[in-house]
Amino acid sequence: MTASRRLDALREVGVEFVAGVPCSYLKVFFAGCAELPTGAYLPAVREDHAIAACAGAWLGGRRTLAAMQNSGLGYCLEVLTSLHLMYRIPLPMLVSDRGAPTDYEEHRILGQRTRQLLDLFGIPWREARAGGLEGEARWLLETSERERGPAVLLVTKEADA
Amino acid sequence: MTRAEAVALTVSLLADDDIVVAADGAISREAYRARDRARTFYMLGSMGQVASIALGLAMTRPERVIALDGDGNLLMGFGGLALVGALKPANLRHLVLDNGCYATTGGQPAISRQVDLASAALGAGYTWGRRCLAGSDARAAMESWLAAPGPALLDLEVDASDSDPAPRVPMTPEEMAARARAALTRD
Repeated sequence: MTASRRLDALREVGVEFVAGVPCSYLKVFFAGCAELPTGAYLPAVREDHAIAACAGAWLGGRRTLAAMQNSGLGYCLEVLTSLHLMYRIPLPMLVSDRGAPTDYEEHRILGQRTRQLLDLFGIPWREARAGGLEGEARWLLETSERERGPAVLLVTKEADA
Repeated sequence: MTRAEAVALTVSLLADDDIVVAADGAISREAYRARDRARTFYMLGSMGQVASIALGLAMTRPERVIALDGDGNLLMGFGGLALVGALKPANLRHLVLDNGCYATTGGQPAISRQVDLASAALGAGYTWGRRCLAGSDARAAMESWLAAPGPALLDLEVDASDSDPAPRVPMTPEEMAARARAALTRD
C-alpha cells in the first residue's frame, strides 16, 4: 500500500514500473510513487524521457505506466509516434487534465486541445472520476495492451487519489 | 576509424547476453550489418532517447545494457544523460560514436567538438567517463570501458565520412520490438 489509492489500484492490475514528471494535479499519485521500491519508479526530467524509459522497461518484460501533466504531451509526441505507435509498444498513461477556462493562462492553449490531440493520433482516452479507481486502472491496462500502444486516463485535481 | 568500423568492433566485443540499444539512423543499420542479434533493439526514430530506453532496460534487467549512441543524438536528449547519472545503473555502458556532425542529414556540424561529453557524464554522476581521440587505440579504450564499473561513458571520436552506407534493417518496427522482448523474457 502506498499513499495513493490510484497507484495501488494500478499496481493491483499489473503495473510494475512507473516513470513520470510530477504535476500539482497529481500530488497524491506522485506521493505514492515516492514510496515505490528502488527500480520501480523513475523520476524523469522530461516527459519524453519518461515514456522512452517505459519502452525500455517493456522490452525488458515489465508492465509500465507513465504519469505527467498534459503539457508534457507536446514533448512526448515524437516519441509516441516513432516509438510506441510505430513499434506497437503498450503504454498506459496517467495525464493531468489542466486547461479549463478558470485555469492559469500557461495551461489553456495545449490543455484545451488535449482530447483533440489524442484523437488526431488515434490514442484512446478516458476521463477519470472520483471513485472509479479499479475500473479505470483495468481499462487503462487492458486498452493499452489490446491496442498495443498508448492509452490515456485524464485526471482532474478532484480525481487525484 | 570510421563509425561503421567502430560499431563492428563494439559488436565483436559483446558477450552473448548483452542487451544493445542501437541509435536511430546509420548506427542501427551498421550494428545490423556487423551482426544481427535478437538482443539488439534497433531504433528508427525517437532521436535523443537512446540513453532513456537503455535506462529503462537497465533498471529492469540484470544483464549488461549497451547504449550505442551518436553525439547529435545524445545532445538532443541531454536530460537522459542526467537521468542515467542520477540513477546510476551499474549494468549500463554508454558509447558515443562521435563524428562531430549530423552525418545522416548531410554532415552539418554538431556542437560536440565544443562540449566535453565525457566530463558532462562524470558531472552528471556516471562512475566512469573518457574521451578517445581520433588516432588513439580504440580497442583498448573500449576494453577499459566495458570492464569499468557502470554507468560508464566512452566518447569515441570517429571519421565524419560515410563512404559505405549500410542498408536499412529488413524488419518491420513491430517485428524488431517483439523479437527483442521475446529474447529478453524467454526464461
